[in-house]
Amino acid sequence: MVDMLLMILAGVGVALFGFVLQTSIAGVNRKIVGRIQKRYGPKWYQEFLDIFKLLSKRSVTHGWIFDFGVIMALGGIIGTAMFMPITSSLMAFPGYDNFFIFVYLIAVGMLGMAMSASGSGNPLASIGVMRALTTMLAYEVPFMIVVLTIIKLTGTSSLSELGILQQAGGDFNWFVIALPLGGIVAVISLMGMLGKKPFVTYIAPAEIASGPMVEYGGKQLGMLFIMHEITVFIEVSLFVHLFLGGAENILFFIIKYFAVYTALNIMSSVYGRLKIDQVVLFFYKWPLILAVTQAFIAIYLGWVI
Amino acid sequence: MTVELLIILTLVLGLVSYFMGRFNKVYGAVVTIIASMFVFISVGYMANDILDGSTFNYNAVKYLPVFATFTVSYLGIFFAILVTFVFAMVSFFNPFFVEKYKYPAVYNMLYIFSLAGVLGVFFTDNLMVLFFFFEFVVWSGLFIIPLGKSKKAAVSYYAFSTAGSFALLYAIFIMRDVAGTYNLYAGLASVSGTTQGTYVMILLSISAFSKLGAFPLHTWLPAAHGNAPHPFSPVLSGALVKLGAFVAILALVKLAPVGDLQSVFGSYTDATFLYASQYAVAILGAMTIVFGTLMAIRQDDAKKLLAYSSVSNGGYILVALSIGGSVGLAGGLYHIIAHALASAAAFLAIGAVSRVTGTSKMSELGGMIHKMPITYMVYLIAIISMAGIPPMGGFISKWLIFQAVIDNGLILIAVAVFFGSIGSFLYVFRPLAALFLGQELPQHKDKAKIPPFFMLLPMIILSLLIVYTGVFPNYILGFINDVMAELGVDALVIGKYTIQGPNGVLHPTLVASVFGVGVLIAFIIFIVLKKSRKVGLMDTYTAGNFIYTEELMHYSLDFYAPIERLYEKYINITEDFYKKLENKVVDFGRMVKYFFFTNKPEVTVFWIVVIIGFLLWGDL
Amino acid sequence: MLSTKFSPMSKEEVDRKWWEIGDFFRRNSLWMLMYCTGCCAIELPPAMTSAYDMERLGMGPMATPRQADVLLVTGYLSLKTLRRLIYTYEQMSEPKYVVGFGSCTINGGIYHDSHAVINQLNKYVPVDVFVAGCMPNTESVMNGFIDLMDLIKNKKANGWKDYHERNDWYKANQKAALGEVKIHDEFHE
Repeated sequence: MVDMLLMILAGVGVALFGFVLQTSIAGVNRKIVGRIQKRYGPKWYQEFLDIFKLLSKRSVTHGWIFDFGVIMALGGIIGTAMFMPITSSLMAFPGYDNFFIFVYLIAVGMLGMAMSASGSGNPLASIGVMRALTTMLAYEVPFMIVVLTIIKLTGTSSLSELGILQQAGGDFNWFVIALPLGGIVAVISLMGMLGKKPFVTYIAPAEIASGPMVEYGGKQLGMLFIMHEITVFIEVSLFVHLFLGGAENILFFIIKYFAVYTALNIMSSVYGRLKIDQVVLFFYKWPLILAVTQAFIAIYLGWVI
Repeated sequence: MTVELLIILTLVLGLVSYFMGRFNKVYGAVVTIIASMFVFISVGYMANDILDGSTFNYNAVKYLPVFATFTVSYLGIFFAILVTFVFAMVSFFNPFFVEKYKYPAVYNMLYIFSLAGVLGVFFTDNLMVLFFFFEFVVWSGLFIIPLGKSKKAAVSYYAFSTAGSFALLYAIFIMRDVAGTYNLYAGLASVSGTTQGTYVMILLSISAFSKLGAFPLHTWLPAAHGNAPHPFSPVLSGALVKLGAFVAILALVKLAPVGDLQSVFGSYTDATFLYASQYAVAILGAMTIVFGTLMAIRQDDAKKLLAYSSVSNGGYILVALSIGGSVGLAGGLYHIIAHALASAAAFLAIGAVSRVTGTSKMSELGGMIHKMPITYMVYLIAIISMAGIPPMGGFISKWLIFQAVIDNGLILIAVAVFFGSIGSFLYVFRPLAALFLGQELPQHKDKAKIPPFFMLLPMIILSLLIVYTGVFPNYILGFINDVMAELGVDALVIGKYTIQGPNGVLHPTLVASVFGVGVLIAFIIFIVLKKSRKVGLMDTYTAGNFIYTEELMHYSLDFYAPIERLYEKYINITEDFYKKLENKVVDFGRMVKYFFFTNKPEVTVFWIVVIIGFLLWGDL
Repeated sequence: MLSTKFSPMSKEEVDRKWWEIGDFFRRNSLWMLMYCTGCCAIELPPAMTSAYDMERLGMGPMATPRQADVLLVTGYLSLKTLRRLIYTYEQMSEPKYVVGFGSCTINGGIYHDSHAVINQLNKYVPVDVFVAGCMPNTESVMNGFIDLMDLIKNKKANGWKDYHERNDWYKANQKAALGEVKIHDEFHE
């Protein structure tokens, strides 16, 4: 029982670590994007200021489902983050860092947010949710096929074990190198997951007034910001553990994490935005073909670099 | 009580409910509750005895003809307890809907008759008795479905069911021919692995596909489920479709798979292969998943949407059963439970909404949550399970199915399985957004209210069970291990709380409790912060415009228009095929009529004599 | 001599402390809702982009009034848009601030004698900071924002409280300018 409580406390610690890490890195990235656009950029802790400001404001609510959905969203995401290993040996619940838990438990949070947004009664929110779900349908399948290849090759779906397996073979055993086509697909899918341009269709401030977020202000929006930061933490960490050889220690984790997130942000800042059906068509064309090809040659022909 | 007595009693109760229904509509419907609860409890006792290892002879036959033999097997009990439970839960809805039917007494009787038929199918070991009860269920359903919205749906239900029944009948004939007996197990064992076994497998698969609504025999299911009376849709989807799964288990697990690919391709690669028949069924199952998902996304009627989701979930069951092995089979069996519970609960929730509003079209509904919050929660829990999200039962089964698919390296099938899994988020969310959430439409504002207690009761019980199956699956998995032992498959490795798959451990209780902790933290954050100001639903951001009409602020029509546009051109291929087939059949019928049934009776008599003579040629 | 005894703060003091902490966050993260109907809106793009970069002050544009902290009224307001402006202002989450741009919001500017334009914005909604000029140049716009931050720091940006306290007065002014709408539907407002 005490063990369990300690593990849960450790899990909360992981979630908090993820929040602090991602929020700081997001602030730094805002500065980097600012520099790309020849601006000075905000303070590195600007994201914290934004979130705490939102929490301090007095917001409006559209009924109990509006609030309940936000609680479910943040709760689901915190729950998911609690399972995330930070390094390949440091995690709250050793042995239960199953890949599918992340993919499906994260969906509870998404569902909560979607529910709350639709519960606000604003049609723009429903349109935003529709776009978010459609984008999800697009990027998830190629990504899952690549992960299928990895799980089939290694025989484990535990993130930490996958990390250790990659480390055992030296730095060039990382799956982003060992499965090059799969690595490309994973990067593209990760951009979709994080909602980076060109796949940012659901947050469209000028078109549908920021989509699902349209009715939120104050603490609900603040909680959704926290949720967003932890979601990004989960998704980028998944990439680090699955494709970049996990992390031997916490410093490597932070370096890899920062590198991935910054690279995606820099790539994203030079793209325009696709339409929603273009996103679906895109993902079901090249990334899916690449992913299936990669899976086929890796599983049936055994060609792994 | 023996199985025989239970079936006879059920049939008698059906007649009682008919006469009670003639006397008073509602009392007749109450009899259906009593009857189905009675059957469920009896089957529960049976299951309890079997698990205890008791030796009471349920199989004794006293009143029926000698050939009507029964066997209480683990497989039969597994299906029977699930299906009778769904019947028992749904029966609580009958008294509230019985007013709306043209023939309420008939409805009550047929409801109980189909329950009796289901019991017969699951417990008999005689092939002809199985066929008889199989048809009995089909016929009961055939007369119930037209009591709903459409008569045409019943016709298509009957057409496809007949195709399935005939396939079953031919399979029975082949088995009788080979084994020399009508015994189910002896028949299956004697053809397994032989050339006849291949035919039997194909025929049984056709039967299973037609019952389960799998591609390409799926077109009847949405029509029938969508148009059936509101309390009968959950029974169709949660219980009667599972007859197909039962037949599929007979075909795919009891018969040895055919077409050894491992020996053909095994020398070229390290990868392992399944048998050709397994691939064939899995591919059809995968196509079922994709078709069901794509069609469900574009439905406007909430019941039709759920019906297509039943199609898609039937695909999952087929994929899991065809892959087989301990993980695949356990996943398939668990998915049968999870889907039965979830789809029954979802259909009941939609039924409760339609009862007060008179429609289940999403474009005509909105904001029901404000008057029916409990119904909403029931629907929410059901769809979380349907979409395979923890901590609900659907997650466990999907996890097992994914493990099986990945372990066998089925890439293309995995594409379909993952697509269906993500696609289910899309379609289950639609009724949530359009029907329960969004603006509260004025035309339903006064009518909508919390359903009466006896309608809430089954919905709440189902919801609790959905959560239970997702948090503590191991008791049920233990039972599934018994079923699999009977089928000759290795047991799934389960610990006290954990499930061991081929490439990972799942601890559902831990997942659920961690989710609970997360929600608790979020709730604490929420509650310590400043209280929000309550505003109305119409006080939303409109770019400064003043809008007073709720419909204008409710997004429910063509919800997924951007993605529907991508495939709407190709979606009617199977429907068109069946339409053409129908036209051909009608043409053929006209031709027959033209030649044989002319206005002159002597011509008709002549042809009848000729044909009878032709048929009797050999014997004379 | 100071007492070393621990004296619990009263509830007002605790609230005041929290408010000051909140004010620190609020003034460093001002999200704008731009009501760009007037010509002064042209000053905002240079203020936002690389020339002046208001993001370094923590400011940024937002899509909806629910999310925003500052309402920027950039220039003249016709009677038709005033109704929308008030609706938008009332939808914002508290605490909320208003910045009026240009001479039109102060005294009507060059439109002071128009029948369709209001002259003094702060008769209808409480304005915390005016940025004078026709048009104000970008430096003065930025100065206006920094003034607003100082006001928040000194607890003087209390327009939203004033709107609660003197709501009758504001409502009366609004009614006098706009008249009363008898039929509430999409066409009459």
